[in-house]
Amino acid sequence: MNTAGKTLLAAAGVATAVVVARRRRGGSDDQGSGQWLAVTVNRAPEEVHASLPEDLTRWRDQFELRIQPATGDKGTELRVKPTGDVSRHDLRLALRRAKSVLEAGEVVRPDTAPTHPGPLGKALRLVTNQAGGGGRL
Amino acid sequence: MKALCWEGINDVRVQDVPDPELLGDQDMILKVRLSTVCGSDLHLLTGHIPFMQAGDVIGHEFMGEVVEVGSGVTRHRPGDRVVVCSFIACGRCWYCRNELYSLCDNTNTNPAITQHLWGADPGGIFGYSHAMGGFRGSHAEYVRVPFADHTAIPIPEAVDDMSALFTSDSAATGWMGADLGGVKQGDVVAVWGAGAVGQMAARAAQLLGAERVLIIDRFDYRLRQAETMFGVETVNYAETSVGDALLDATGGRGPDVCIEAVGCEAHSTGPQHVYDQVKSKLKLETDRPIAVREAIYHCRKGGSVFVLGVFTGIVDKFPLGAMMNKGLTVRGAQQHGQRYIPMLLDRIASGELVTDHLATHVMPLSEGARGYELFKKKEDDCVRSVFRL
Repeated sequence: MNTAGKTLLAAAGVATAVVVARRRRGGSDDQGSGQWLAVTVNRAPEEVHASLPEDLTRWRDQFELRIQPATGDKGTELRVKPTGDVSRHDLRLALRRAKSVLEAGEVVRPDTAPTHPGPLGKALRLVTNQAGGGGRL
Repeated sequence: MKALCWEGINDVRVQDVPDPELLGDQDMILKVRLSTVCGSDLHLLTGHIPFMQAGDVIGHEFMGEVVEVGSGVTRHRPGDRVVVCSFIACGRCWYCRNELYSLCDNTNTNPAITQHLWGADPGGIFGYSHAMGGFRGSHAEYVRVPFADHTAIPIPEAVDDMSALFTSDSAATGWMGADLGGVKQGDVVAVWGAGAVGQMAARAAQLLGAERVLIIDRFDYRLRQAETMFGVETVNYAETSVGDALLDATGGRGPDVCIEAVGCEAHSTGPQHVYDQVKSKLKLETDRPIAVREAIYHCRKGGSVFVLGVFTGIVDKFPLGAMMNKGLTVRGAQQHGQRYIPMLLDRIASGELVTDHLATHVMPLSEGARGYELFKKKEDDCVRSVFRL
């Protein structure tokens, strides 16, 4: 394997490790209390109140909800804190999807990839399988 | 259908792949007519951006004809001729409403990757890795265009296909550098890189009122093209001291606005290049920011530097002292194309802006690998390879 290949392998490995590690680190509060998760939605608070998407309402009995205006005319801060069995990962993904539905009317989907990944590609697939709901919320 | 796929480092091949399908109400399917290589694709080819899978379709600068629209598409109909911005935008999040389209909140399907890398996720791009959404690219007979009303722009009758093609990315990116770099009447502007984006930034600076525009590169054929097409002044850094040339052109002040259009795999002739090569091999930096360093160092006091080139991670020897003590404004962005493309098409129609000269090598998609080889090695005076489908 040439240097570029090694770089690729290292980067994919690091990315996988980061995502997996963060998933594990989040495990202790995956089932309950933990911190608030938040997104800012570019809609008025009353519109968010009136049309919470199904992505969120399906878990409605398992999280605490706060809706408040964002500063500087940036829309509405939508905050949730898990109180039931729903995992933070699922709730984070639901929040992102809800924001997209509220703002753009749908959740964009990636193309069906015509890929045939080797070992590195499979490592990347492990990352992307988690990447939709991960990250900073 | 046929598509040009990334199969590994420095390995692209035309493959048979399934036709794209409408996946959302706001999607449309485009029959691609023209799709061009871009300097940022080379970062994918070299493995610099490691979030690719074998079989991914690449390409993000393109135009074509609408063949199918979802029920939520209102601005386009089958048969329409459109140019598609390389960045996919929902058009309704706070960033899109503020014309910061490449920062769209709703178009990156894998946000966690770039959030971990950069603290937040920019929008999705066609054919530019799974870190940027995992969307199929445009070097294909057909491509799905998500949020079509906000991502595709109709082409006026007076603008031919080839001229429109370059508004998809390079012309819009170049214009953004001059615009957000704050070019004003009477400014002296220096542009690093005489590729398509650099040339477009130079022309944008002229149209925004710059009195003198200097463009810097090491390839004479690119400098000659910029000089011939736009009358800009040229500096070949392999033959001339860039600092001396810029001080001479500005009476010792330095350029008012410096635009970097080179990116993370920059070259130079001095020991700095060796230094950066060693640092990157040792994984002590991910990118080689040579042109950024020069732009900051040579910019006049109180001037403005705009970074258009693509960077991925961390760099070394960033001249923070020069930036701070000279009171510079340093900005950067991926392109907010939707903000500029309609205006650029109008300027092309009026004859103010010429773009089609960038297509130095036009070929069928079946020669895709050769097109990238020519482009990467700067062979046969290649500025851009364009695939006709």
